[in-house]
Amino acid sequence: MSVHVASVGMGKYGKRPEGLIDLAAEAANAALEGVGRRPIDLLVAGSMLAHGAHGQEALLPRLAARLGLEAASGFRVDSASGTGGMAFHTAVVALETGRFERALVVATEKMTDRTTATNTKELAASLDASEVAAGATMPGLAAIVTQRYLERFHRSTAICDAATVHARAMSVDNPAAHFQKAVTPEEVAKSRLVSTPLRLLHCSAISDGATAVVLERGTGPATVLGIGQGFESVRLVDRDDLTTFAATRVAAQRAYQNAKVGPKEVDVAEVHDAFAPFVYIHMEDLGLSEVGQAPDAFERGEVRRDGRIPVNPSGGVIGRGHPVAASGLAEDAEVALQLRGEAGAHAVARLPKVGLAQAMSGIASHNFVTILGRGGE
Amino acid sequence: MTDNGESIEVRRCDSCGARFLPNDGACPRCGSTRTRPLAVPALGTVLAATEMTSPAEGWHAPHRLALVEMPEAVRLFAIVDGGLPAPGTVVAVRREGEVYRARTEPTAG
Repeated sequence: MSVHVASVGMGKYGKRPEGLIDLAAEAANAALEGVGRRPIDLLVAGSMLAHGAHGQEALLPRLAARLGLEAASGFRVDSASGTGGMAFHTAVVALETGRFERALVVATEKMTDRTTATNTKELAASLDASEVAAGATMPGLAAIVTQRYLERFHRSTAICDAATVHARAMSVDNPAAHFQKAVTPEEVAKSRLVSTPLRLLHCSAISDGATAVVLERGTGPATVLGIGQGFESVRLVDRDDLTTFAATRVAAQRAYQNAKVGPKEVDVAEVHDAFAPFVYIHMEDLGLSEVGQAPDAFERGEVRRDGRIPVNPSGGVIGRGHPVAASGLAEDAEVALQLRGEAGAHAVARLPKVGLAQAMSGIASHNFVTILGRGGE
Repeated sequence: MTDNGESIEVRRCDSCGARFLPNDGACPRCGSTRTRPLAVPALGTVLAATEMTSPAEGWHAPHRLALVEMPEAVRLFAIVDGGLPAPGTVVAVRREGEVYRARTEPTAG
């Protein structure tokens, strides 16, 4: 049974005065308007940080009441920064059973009302406790991964700068993105060190925002051709190789098989660059570039909107800002916008037929790959 | 560089032979719970190290953390006392409570 993305509601990401539910409702209402407010019988929503500080455990009933969806059924999902990707996949699977007709998928996060220290601590909840006990943070572990990549492939930190420059060059064309100003390699290289070798502008920004999509049974320009997930050890010391993420490779293999397409057929990709150099690892794990060679694809301009394989035309996590749970759904949403010809100023040069979205939890311990394309039915 | 006689305890899986850092249960490779302690020399090689200028709450900046490969290919994260070691640096590792700490070996003499 086919499922397709019928509409997208991309809320504005950035420092927002509104709360978690207001942000969610903004994106959700935009998505609902997109399908002429046709009836929704399934609500799938997620937020990583709605627990704890926000005390908003009852996310689903609050959202259902706010959106007038009391007649729908609902699932709340949780997979750290991959929550949005998981929400999308959950809705796809539920619709494929035939039990539901049309689903609203929402991922929302409110972060800027808390201190960096609090956010850092809560985000570290997706890491291994023994590593956190030694003072590991997300940027700290991402820095270790980056160093391993640079060392293995004999690259300099210039590739990290280039990844940020690309992301910010893309995000200026995306009105929903947090960052509306491009940066030069020099500006990136001069930003303050966060965790060597990663600098501030290599790290995704704490942001507020929500994304919503309506998925329904049937086919369209953004039909779900395939989905796949993968896991890898949360504890990084149990991994043999930190320059590749098994969770992506497994998820991609399953999604490609499911979709009956290969990496060469992918016309546009959105990947989870929570830290700028991760874009290279993701491209390589997804088969969009040879191992160790993704930085060359960037240098040759192949990832630009008019290139061989446009990557993160939305600006990605680095350019869009990172309201953690929302990012995973923004990736699916962006690919849907591109395929539906609704991406406006951030549309890739040639209307794509097949697009791929990848979401990541923590340091790639649970990853999601979605492949969208034209439905054949 | 010689073994200073110190050791740290790791685990060895009886089922698949994997060596790994003590965890809360099963072998991370095969899932077996039949594992036993194994002492390995407390000298390891730094694979990567980072200096965090905005460490987590409760840590002083800069906080230095190294990914260290111990004998038997067991890896651990160690808090670094002293300067940031380059990859390939050999460090002495000791356990302190629930964390590991590493210091760079003094130069000869």
